[in-house]
Amino acid sequence: MNDLSVAKSVMNAVPVSLPEKISIRDLKFYYGSNLALKGITLPLYANHVTAFIGPSGCGKSTLLRVLNRMYDLYPGQRAEGQVLLDGANVLDPGLDLNLLRARVGMVFQKPTPFPMTIYENIAFGVRLYESLSKSDMDQRVQSSLERAALWPEVKDKLQANGLSLSGGQQQRLCIARTVAIKPEVILFDEPCSALDPISTAKIEELIEELKTDYTIAIVTHNMQQASRVSDYTAFMYLGELVEFGETTATFTAPRQSRTQDYITGRFG
Amino acid sequence: MDSTAAQSTVASRDARAQALSWLRRSDTIFRLVTHGAALLVLGLLGAVVLSLIGGAMPALRTFGLAFFTVDDWNPVADTFGSIAPIYGTLVTSIIAMLIAVPIGFGIAIFLTELCPPVLRRPVGIAVELLAGIPSIIYGIWGLFVLAPWLQTTVQPALIYVFSGVPILSSLFAGPPFGIGVLTAAIILSIMVLPFITAVSRDVFETVPPMLKESAYGLGCTRWEVVWNIVIPFTRVGVIGGVMLALGRALGETMAVTFVVGNAQRLSVSILQPGTTISATIANEFAEATGGLYQSALIALGLLLFVLTFVVLALARLLLARLDVKAGK
Amino acid sequence: MAFDSKRYARRHRVDGVVTGLCLFSALSGLFVLGLILGTLLWNGLAGLGLAVFTEMTPPPGSKGGLLNAIAGSLIMTILGVAVGTPIGILAGTYMAEYGRHSKLTSVVRFINDILLSAPSIVIGLFVYTIMVAPFGGYSALAGAFSLAVIVIPIVVRTTEDMLLLVPNTLREAASALGMPRVKVISSISYRAARSGMITGVLLAIARVSGETAPLLFTALGNQFWSTDLTAPMASLPVVIFKFALSPYADWRQLAWTGALLITFAVLALSISARVIGQKRQS
Repeated sequence: MNDLSVAKSVMNAVPVSLPEKISIRDLKFYYGSNLALKGITLPLYANHVTAFIGPSGCGKSTLLRVLNRMYDLYPGQRAEGQVLLDGANVLDPGLDLNLLRARVGMVFQKPTPFPMTIYENIAFGVRLYESLSKSDMDQRVQSSLERAALWPEVKDKLQANGLSLSGGQQQRLCIARTVAIKPEVILFDEPCSALDPISTAKIEELIEELKTDYTIAIVTHNMQQASRVSDYTAFMYLGELVEFGETTATFTAPRQSRTQDYITGRFG
Repeated sequence: MDSTAAQSTVASRDARAQALSWLRRSDTIFRLVTHGAALLVLGLLGAVVLSLIGGAMPALRTFGLAFFTVDDWNPVADTFGSIAPIYGTLVTSIIAMLIAVPIGFGIAIFLTELCPPVLRRPVGIAVELLAGIPSIIYGIWGLFVLAPWLQTTVQPALIYVFSGVPILSSLFAGPPFGIGVLTAAIILSIMVLPFITAVSRDVFETVPPMLKESAYGLGCTRWEVVWNIVIPFTRVGVIGGVMLALGRALGETMAVTFVVGNAQRLSVSILQPGTTISATIANEFAEATGGLYQSALIALGLLLFVLTFVVLALARLLLARLDVKAGK
Repeated sequence: MAFDSKRYARRHRVDGVVTGLCLFSALSGLFVLGLILGTLLWNGLAGLGLAVFTEMTPPPGSKGGLLNAIAGSLIMTILGVAVGTPIGILAGTYMAEYGRHSKLTSVVRFINDILLSAPSIVIGLFVYTIMVAPFGGYSALAGAFSLAVIVIPIVVRTTEDMLLLVPNTLREAASALGMPRVKVISSISYRAARSGMITGVLLAIARVSGETAPLLFTALGNQFWSTDLTAPMASLPVVIFKFALSPYADWRQLAWTGALLITFAVLALSISARVIGQKRQS
């Protein structure tokens, strides 16, 4: 059985009519000589949320870091196969990484506000690509903060340091920062793992809203979170894609016993 | 329980009590000894300060504030004004920092952001080893290699290029001696370079990778990440490191003594021989016979100590603030 | 995404230029430092022979060696380290074990950091005023003492740092057995921190073996063989200083050779300190 037929067998519940924003084709990933992703084939549908779940070390974060080529920062890590973003291969060595990362934004496990003011945290990224007038920039900062549901809390202290915010606010600031440069895809790498339940709920709500404009991929350890926020779920195990399908189907009627075991907490 | 067993328990209890009391006593003694040693370190600094103040008193009482402001260093006439070495110390150190700080940062950025990982450790180790090479080595190299080279190439070029320009022409006025203020500054900059590099590399490495990735994730170039994220994040530590290096440069003796020219006069041109506080002391102290002459040199030493103390204390306070921030 | 391609091109240009500058500074820095070691080897090896280790420092214009200077450096370094190390270890022990959070400790730590980077020539002046001037003469003892003053802060620092790295659970486990503090420190903390503390002492030796400034007017120098601790004594760095600045070719050659010897010694000490320090980590 070759990889593509495996892919087909785990994906039969997916309607094929949806447009694919990103198509991952037979992706292999190496840390040095260590094979971490063993031929993944997977679509990310436009304006939908796809969740990656699986036990630690299954390769889900690695997969996410391939999509914006973050792994390029570290020598010895390389990817094979194809990752098509609107049909163009992201893994093409001649690709402009800065532009790719402007199109594919990322939010990290822990809030990472830059060491500057709240305003600058957002304006900084915008200024990389656009020269806006002061009033346009103010407008952009405000709309981004509104998009991230942070505006009411910070509108009176835009000149305060980003680090002065609470953890949940910092994470929303990071989302606002990502949204501000108008990417097409947003990757969330366990965005709530360092947050309390109330902040987590806010972020989840936000992800739900963001999908009207963006294609979203989220890695999470939290099964409930995956079922709450995502439209599609990919279950990965030891570098392989075990099951992919609509979230409701995956959670209520997993086709693979390993998925069933993981979801019900029998291992992981 | 029979009586012998009871007796032996009592006996062993006695032995144990005895052992314990001995241990307790030795514990107290050891604690007091270590406490004494800690106080000794404190006393050492006090003794340094007091002995220098005591030694400097005769000169300071004779010349007053003029000692620090007058350009007149005349052991024959027993009159001492030390503005020339003070000026020389400041100028050599400042020029040295102007050269070493950008290059040191460049190397640190190279090591943390650009360098292929295979080279990172060896280059880092080389830098650290070079930081430990005694200053006299830099001095002898400066005297026999750097100074003649500067004399025949760089200095004539500087004199020629700036000859018509106001201000600069007097700053770079000839003739080229080889040795002089500029040469001392260059040697100092080479000396503190490994130090600045090591400190800034260490603080650059404290930036969480995730923070850098976030900036790369927005599409920042490497330089944008360094300039907007790494340097602001490590600002306090970097300044502390630079101040530490400045403290070293101010107090550095041997490397400077070899190449500064040891001329007790104030000259505008940095190509001319000059002197520094430490070079003056190193050169003249062993031959200083007069009481006032010796006292004047000790007063210079006191000034140098105060100067470096202030710079180093500021550096330590900045670095300590960094530790608090990092939650250490 | 609105996109300003001119701005984008400029960003890439700036990045390229800065990358180039960093590369250039790394290359030039390494080049200069390599050049220094290269000329040192070249000039130093030219004069390296058996005579260097068997003959005394010569009068101007004649051949000779560095034997008395090497011996003097060894004697004063050993003495200085022997005096400075125990004091440094004890003070560091107080700071990390007994008085970890006390006011005294934070004051001593600050003062120690100041002493650590105080100009060594000032240490020389200090020792002159308390040991040379009152007793009416330069001596090897004064030289050794000034080196000890330099050793102490280095050892204090590494001892404290290394002891602080010893996990508290280890101390608690030992105390739970009923060990008094002195036993806990000597048989648990010291043992756990041993290689780090040895590293500190080696670094201190490396540092003082190249020190010149504090010896200039404490041990002074001596043209001849001398093991009398109350008399002036030759040392390698001071001989290098004197010979290098002289007009005589023989003396200058010996200065280069001496510089090479010191550099070798210092590098060997730093490398072994590093190796020992690393063994601890693995």
